[in-house]
Amino acid sequence: MSFLDVTDLDITYTVGAGSLKAVDGVSFSLRKGESMGIVGESGCGKTTIAKGLMQLLPKNGAITRGSITLNGRELVGLSKEAVRRLRLKEIAMISQSAMNALNPVYTIGDQLVEGIMAHTSFGNRGAYKRAVEVFEMVGLEEKRMRSFPHQMSGGMKQRAVIAMALSLNPSLIIADEPTTALDVVVQDRILHRIIKIQKEINSSMIFITHDISVVSEICETIVVMYGGKVMEMSPTDTFFRRPFHPYSLGLKNAFPLITEITDELISIPGTPPNLLLELKGCRFNERCPFAQQKCAVELPLFYEPEPGHKVACHFPERVEEFRERSSHRDTWEVVRERLIREYMEKGAVEYA
Amino acid sequence: MHEKPLITISSLKKYYPVRKGFRDMFNHAKQYVKAVDDVSLVINRGEILGLAGESGSGKTTTGEIIVRLQDKTDGDIVFDGHPLEADSKEDAKRFRKEIQMIFQDPYETLNPRFNIFETIAEPLKIHGVKNKKELLKRVKRALEIAELKPPDHYLYSYPHELSGGQRQRVAIARGIVLEPKFLVADEPVSMLDVSIRADILNLLKRLRKDMGLTMLYVSHDLSTIKYLCDRIAVMYLGKIVEHGSVDDVLSKPMHPYTKVLFASVPVADPDYKKQRIIIDDEVPDQINLPAGCRFTPRCPYVTPQCSSCSHELFEYQPGQFSACIYRDEDLTFNPDRLIQE
Ligand SMILES: Nc1ncnc2c1ncn2[C@@H]1O[C@H](COP(=O)(O)OP(=O)(O)OP(=O)(O)O)[C@@H](O)[C@H]1O
Ligand SMILES: Nc1ncnc2c1ncn2[C@@H]1O[C@H](COP(=O)(O)OP(=O)(O)OP(=O)(O)O)[C@@H](O)[C@H]1O
Ligand code: SF4
Ligand SMILES: [Mg+2]
Ligand SMILES: [Mg+2]
Repeated sequence: MSFLDVTDLDITYTVGAGSLKAVDGVSFSLRKGESMGIVGESGCGKTTIAKGLMQLLPKNGAITRGSITLNGRELVGLSKEAVRRLRLKEIAMISQSAMNALNPVYTIGDQLVEGIMAHTSFGNRGAYKRAVEVFEMVGLEEKRMRSFPHQMSGGMKQRAVIAMALSLNPSLIIADEPTTALDVVVQDRILHRIIKIQKEINSSMIFITHDISVVSEICETIVVMYGGKVMEMSPTDTFFRRPFHPYSLGLKNAFPLITEITDELISIPGTPPNLLLELKGCRFNERCPFAQQKCAVELPLFYEPEPGHKVACHFPERVEEFRERSSHRDTWEVVRERLIREYMEKGAVEYA
Repeated sequence: MHEKPLITISSLKKYYPVRKGFRDMFNHAKQYVKAVDDVSLVINRGEILGLAGESGSGKTTTGEIIVRLQDKTDGDIVFDGHPLEADSKEDAKRFRKEIQMIFQDPYETLNPRFNIFETIAEPLKIHGVKNKKELLKRVKRALEIAELKPPDHYLYSYPHELSGGQRQRVAIARGIVLEPKFLVADEPVSMLDVSIRADILNLLKRLRKDMGLTMLYVSHDLSTIKYLCDRIAVMYLGKIVEHGSVDDVLSKPMHPYTKVLFASVPVADPDYKKQRIIIDDEVPDQINLPAGCRFTPRCPYVTPQCSSCSHELFEYQPGQFSACIYRDEDLTFNPDRLIQE
């Protein structure tokens, strides 16, 4: 048993008459103090996992299978009130839009102090002291406690939000694109502050982003998702030195590196699958340059090329070949041509 | 590449007057945000210039003045040998045709009630193309160049039926349909998913190669600038602090702000040994500017001499200019500015 164990998790949204499984059989574990990054294209289910863990799913969303245990305690099926208490004390969430959720008519300090008092036995004085402490941790001066949200820059508001999230010493931090809209220099500082505090209070962290380079810098493990499923999961260093999954290889191609000169970026043709349709086989098979017949019908199981590294592809033995071929543009162009042909035949417009 | 300027910007200024609060009512000195403050830049024919810099440093303002979406406060812009002033109607019309812009958000820039044909044909119509057949031909060609193929497939669809990447392609098709000489692209990929981003960057690269398009690419993302651009200019609080070839500036940044910016870019390479430079991340005061170099309140190398800096650009190395009063090798960390994480 780890600190956090997510096992065979399904999360389903009801839409109109149908439903879509936004998270499909996801399992992972997180040790105490570990930081894990979740990456993948838009719509692959990253935020849904976060909301599932926080039990903050919208009305039309529900956990339909699986279990989430935190410190050995099952979270799925807990009463709303129990979850609420747990959420505020043990799990903290920092989201991209959190800074917009600050109440414009109260000072930042009042909001922070009130939050601390509501969930601890601190009185006013104690809560204020704690608030100043976390303000310092995120690099805000005490006088900022008296500011209203509109008097602060985006970066400062985001730091205030982080201070609030951390004020109760959460044992699990879930950060969902916490710096996406910020200036590069500000982003860098905030990211490093988050991990520093996370290490200091020895909490575990799930960091959600679409930017694999951010994960490379701040997380110990990386989870690559696609179409609601985990494609690859690995210690970060290993992943960037030796990615295994064809989707991971494609993702890495698409990122220009500031440390290298790239002649031409290679993109992954096509778009992620429509989750409203019934999906079979490997979720990536439509866009995968190495897909065989089997891939469209049979779901690949995980294999473990080394301890702690899991890959869901049917062809573990062909990794070397995949790595070599995926670095050539032509390999992916063949897919693009096929996809265009197929879309034309269907008479559909949707094609990126 | 022949180094012939297509655009020459000299001492460009854009000052926004600041609305005053009650307390300032009796203070008669006018206050301004100096969004662009004495910027001079040359963009050569067929070149892609990357404009990077801090959020709020004046990148978008500079781009919008060039496409004449905004008026300048002062300065000169010469485009293709002609001053960019609306002296003659003809010149004004020509500039509107030859200088185009694409924006960050493909969702907001397209009119949802126009189908793709109407969207792209509109600028042609404004410029007097009336013949239906001609319109159709040119719209289709623009769609093909923007890699929406086959064009017939897209002509009569509406923006909401398209993906984010497709919409940005439509915006690009609209931007190039008049066969402009110059394109300003303001953060054109920052809202797009990775893989689509790569496609659009490749497309912009190809436009330069195939149509000889000159471009100003505005972005806070140095990695995409490195990939796409020939030269880079870096802005800080309305000033250009460094410019030079992308290869030079991004392998050996000279100005302290460029160094900090470069060191802040996350790198997806566990073997890359990064040297972090930590500075105060408080957003600088845009109205009460410091004396001398505008980076002094945050610069990790600051000395008392910095208050005499006039932001004059020195060519410390052939083709690489920095507005710092110190050469790269003469910069030393100021111990008072050492910030612990
Ligand atoms: N409330 C909802 N009702 C129906 N479908 C939803 C709802 N929220 C999300 N979805 C769908 O579930 C899937 C996963 O969405 P999710 O927001 O988790 O993706 P994500 O990986 O966080 O994407 P992004 O990178 O864009 O934030 C998508 O297909 C999305 O359209
Ligand atoms: N219409 C306006 N009125 C007053 N101030 C303005 C106006 N437009 C921009 N500014 C100010 O001018 C400065 C430069 O803004 P600009 O949008 O050019 O920055 P930018 O470099 O594009 O920033 P970002 O990276 O955030 O897009 C900012 O301080 C901004 O607040
Ligand atoms: S299982 Fe098949 S389709 Fe999926 S990644 Fe592997 S080769 Fe490609
Ligand atoms: Mg999300
Ligand atoms: Mg801008």
